[in-house]
Amino acid sequence: MTLLQVSNLSVDFFTTRQIVHAVRDVSLAVAAGERVGLVGESGSGKTTTALALMRMLKPPGRIVAGSARIGDLDLVGLKGPAIRAARLKTISYIPQGAMNSLSPVLRVREQMLDGLADHGIRLSAREAKARVDDALAGVGLAASVADLFPHQLSGGMKQRVCIAIAMMLDPKIIIADEPTSALDVISQRQVIQTLHMAQKRIGCGMVIIGHDMGLMAQATDRIIVMKDGRIVEDAPTRRLFAAPQHAYSAELIESVPTLGSRPSRPSGERPAAGAPFLELTGVSKTFGGGLLGGDSKQALAPIDLRIDAERPRVIAVVGQSGSGKTTLARIMLGLEPPSEGQFRYRGQDVSQLSVPERARFRREVQAIFQDPYASFNPFYRVDHALLMPLLHLGAAGSRTEAREAMEAACRDVGLNPREVLGRFPHELSGGQRQRLMIARALALKPRLIVADEPVSMVDASLRMTILNNLRALRQEHAISVVYITHDLATAYQVSDEVIVLYDGRLVEAGAPERVIEKPQHAYTRALVSAIPWPDPDRNWPLVEPDRASWNQPAVVQPGATCLG
Amino acid sequence: MLVLIGRRIVMVVAVVWAAATLNFFIPRIAPKNPIAEKLTQLAGTSGVDPTKIQEMSQAFGARFGLDQPLLTQYLRYIGDMARFDFGQSITKYPARVSDLIGEALPWTLGLMITTTLLAFLIGTLLGAAAGWYRNSKLLSVVSPIIMVFSAIPFYLLGLVLIYIFASRLGWFPVSGGYGLTSVPEWSWDFAVEVLQHATLPALSILIASVGTWAIGMRGMMVTVQGEDYMTFAEAKGLKPSRLFYRYGMRNALLPQVTALALYFGQIVTGAVLVEIVFAYPGLGSLLLDSIKLFDFPTIYGIVFILTLTVALSMLLVDLLYPLLDPRARVGR
Amino acid sequence: MTTARVETRGSQQAQRGPAWLGETLGYLRRNPSMIVGGLLLLTLVLFTGLGRLIVDTNAASPLSAPPAQPPGPDVPLGSDPQGRDILSVMILGTWLTVRTGLVAGALGVAVGSAIGLYAGYVGGRRDKAITWVVDVLLTVPAILLLVMIAAVVQTELTSLGMALIIAALAWRRPARQVRSQMLVIRNAGYIEMARLSGLGPLRIIFGEIVPNLLPFLISSFVTAVSAAILAGVGLEAMGLGPQNEPTLGMTIFWIMELSAFLRGMWWWIVPPLAILVVLFVGLYLVNAGLDELANPRLRRRA
Repeated sequence: MTLLQVSNLSVDFFTTRQIVHAVRDVSLAVAAGERVGLVGESGSGKTTTALALMRMLKPPGRIVAGSARIGDLDLVGLKGPAIRAARLKTISYIPQGAMNSLSPVLRVREQMLDGLADHGIRLSAREAKARVDDALAGVGLAASVADLFPHQLSGGMKQRVCIAIAMMLDPKIIIADEPTSALDVISQRQVIQTLHMAQKRIGCGMVIIGHDMGLMAQATDRIIVMKDGRIVEDAPTRRLFAAPQHAYSAELIESVPTLGSRPSRPSGERPAAGAPFLELTGVSKTFGGGLLGGDSKQALAPIDLRIDAERPRVIAVVGQSGSGKTTLARIMLGLEPPSEGQFRYRGQDVSQLSVPERARFRREVQAIFQDPYASFNPFYRVDHALLMPLLHLGAAGSRTEAREAMEAACRDVGLNPREVLGRFPHELSGGQRQRLMIARALALKPRLIVADEPVSMVDASLRMTILNNLRALRQEHAISVVYITHDLATAYQVSDEVIVLYDGRLVEAGAPERVIEKPQHAYTRALVSAIPWPDPDRNWPLVEPDRASWNQPAVVQPGATCLG
Repeated sequence: MLVLIGRRIVMVVAVVWAAATLNFFIPRIAPKNPIAEKLTQLAGTSGVDPTKIQEMSQAFGARFGLDQPLLTQYLRYIGDMARFDFGQSITKYPARVSDLIGEALPWTLGLMITTTLLAFLIGTLLGAAAGWYRNSKLLSVVSPIIMVFSAIPFYLLGLVLIYIFASRLGWFPVSGGYGLTSVPEWSWDFAVEVLQHATLPALSILIASVGTWAIGMRGMMVTVQGEDYMTFAEAKGLKPSRLFYRYGMRNALLPQVTALALYFGQIVTGAVLVEIVFAYPGLGSLLLDSIKLFDFPTIYGIVFILTLTVALSMLLVDLLYPLLDPRARVGR
Repeated sequence: MTTARVETRGSQQAQRGPAWLGETLGYLRRNPSMIVGGLLLLTLVLFTGLGRLIVDTNAASPLSAPPAQPPGPDVPLGSDPQGRDILSVMILGTWLTVRTGLVAGALGVAVGSAIGLYAGYVGGRRDKAITWVVDVLLTVPAILLLVMIAAVVQTELTSLGMALIIAALAWRRPARQVRSQMLVIRNAGYIEMARLSGLGPLRIIFGEIVPNLLPFLISSFVTAVSAAILAGVGLEAMGLGPQNEPTLGMTIFWIMELSAFLRGMWWWIVPPLAILVVLFVGLYLVNAGLDELANPRLRRRA
């Protein structure tokens, strides 16, 4: 039974300069009990479509054509108070950003009940309590949560409260916009599970907006792919993954790494001789503490790690936020001194390097950061970022030489120097900027590049290109890479060794075939099984986080260069 | 929580101590001793009784302990300040400075508290409406005008109001806190008179400061509208009034209250000058009289008391803030 | 949200040249308050600039005109009871008052920025200590300290000396604001990139951070000028200004002192009030425009 029938919906934004066609001629249907995924990159019109259905478009956006029927009700034709009445009762929307979807100053209870009150439902105190307790129980939360403020809840709990609120009036359709963004992989699984349970309970149709094809494969029955405001494909999930009809769908699916399809890599690594290139011995980091610092927090427990220049490797450091992976990266870059332990570069303590040695260290150890938008100073052309290290670290003798090195590095990462150089950062796409950052590091002929989440802010279709650039660093330029990520799947794809961190501690280290295909440590196991692989037939089990078992000692598999 | 309160109290003490210390050292940086000079000047020009001058000179000499080491002088001075002992006035000798301040303080506080609260209330509401209903024609005309008024200093606006409503139209008295012939008493007539005299000074503070609050609130309201929780609240189908008050204003108010604490200093500065312009019988006018006659002990006393007022008001806001913002309450 | 991105894309690709410069020019066109404010200020500049060329400003001293005359052929704007020609006083006074604001504002922003940049860059305990001291000083009402200083040195005060006294306190707010801006920029990726590129602290502060702070510093300068004029005129109105110079504030002091309101000397009262109102409103409007330029968040939603 079709619940929602959208026909030829179009949305335009009337800006002073031009009319932007944000949504073009979108038609789709959602049946009772069905879960439909709306997939596309940022700017593809997913959220705008949802807001149009909720009648929450803000000027200058306007629905210019089409209809959207739920039963006899045409959402597009609603006027005045009828719009408000339809929300929550007929159609519910859970916006993106679970962290901030609840007002920070009101208790959960009030935010659950005010929707009922404004739909004219009068309840006695006892009835109200029963409704709230029921709704919370429906999403697996204790009744006591109602008396808390949002800042007292974890991200996953907040999102579940939002789901509970959206279900309060048993709507016919629920739209969840990126329901798991900003959540760690284990909470992500729980939130999707909660959505499914709640949906089953009230029998509504559900639209899940997202960009992660792995998650979509696991969470939906049918997927609608959007690009530039249009639907390019609408197919059952299984069929879409088996045989995508549109080239863009195929591209999206291929951009997600899968297990068991790891590219083989050349072996024959020579054992290292002499002092290792970088060596961390018992390095740890504690923030805060002291007279004025307040409570101290150990961000990284003592860890040993060694990188040999003669034996270039890609080491993936995997962990959720707060796992200490970024702290480790910053220590290796010399941006943060370790609280304890020794950090040596070519046998010498990094804190005691002479000025020329320090310049050499900077040349040989370089970085790529997560945010390609923030990595460039908006005041200067992009050339500034690339020339600066060449000139200041003595890698180039003259400006001309530096320019040549810069252009060569651009070509090495597959960019046309004439297209990208001489421009301001805001004129380039995120993918172009991130590749320029790789070129910047490459131009210095480093021995090690620390890449901190280099693809997490780049659109999915470009991720593989950038990861291939990283892999090429090792294979063609013999540069070691430390790849910091929260994403086990890409770690599996690009690395020679995986290091898993949890709560500042090392939990498992070893070759990716072992760590990810046959994890030994309870935490790694939980993490690996929570990954939504882009394969609708693969089982996606619900992992109950058993935090106690995660504290077992680290598992270091043979051949690993890292020790806890 | 206790630690937080402790920190705020340390801050208040530090502020008051800093003010008192500057009070102490600034005159001593000057090449000449202003008090001695002033006394000689008084003796020379005015008809003050020479024996009285003698007596004063000794009293001030002893008070400032000018023969003692600087550190001893300083410690004694801080001790006096801590006990609100500001010594005796030069011009109204032997009146005690604390008594003079005690007489003037209620006028100042009355004017400042009423106008500040009213301005905060009106400005916040107006700014909230201006930020929320950005398409309203009425608001798009009214709010820029009010915001431009916020650019004009209180006292300047006071002068303009005096010129128009007192000097030209004669609707209100030009100056003073009550009629020249009246004597302060608890009577209906006197109350009306006080109100009449207070209207223009209050208006000049009100008109000029409403815009400041409106600007801040408008900006916050616009920011809050972009928050995810507003989107979700709207998606819940809430009534516009609930969205506006319970979600919009409730959240936008938090930075307004923080701003209130930071703004007290400016309010005091403004109010002092307004009192001077209107010859209102508060601390501002007392300060002006003291400046004209170089009555340093009174000047010090006023500076000290006003600084203390500002610091205590800030403390009060800081202590009340957690009532508004659950995130500021400690503990989960 | 998706829509915001689509909207801005067109404008960003429309121009090449330093991002801020293009934006500034584009912004001016769409920003009436900045233009109106600029015109108001320009009027005052022309008034005092041309006025000094045309009118004999020596007539701004006492006893150079018949006292307390309403406007007439000899005294275009009348004269005050001490025989100053009001037109000359206004021309000279506007210049003196604006100069006080410019000098104090510039000094305040320069010193304040230096302190703010330092505290924000070094961070840690030194930053905490500096910020705490600035906070304490910010709480003490400025006018009271200025009263103290001005009262002590009053007798030989010139309008430049006045500017220095005001500057002694004008650095506090810029210091606080520049520091908080520094905290935002300091964590930007490109600052880390600069460190990794071997740049020293000075190069990072002046080459990487300050250029991005420029719109903010300009706005902060206008605020400081406005605040300095406010403080200066306030002090003068209390009679604490330069006794021998016809600043606008001293004019107000004499208006109150010599009961111009009761004597109905409107020609004496209106000009200084009008000039000051135009000055403050002009600065405010210019700053309202700059503010949106310096805070991209405001701008996007405007």
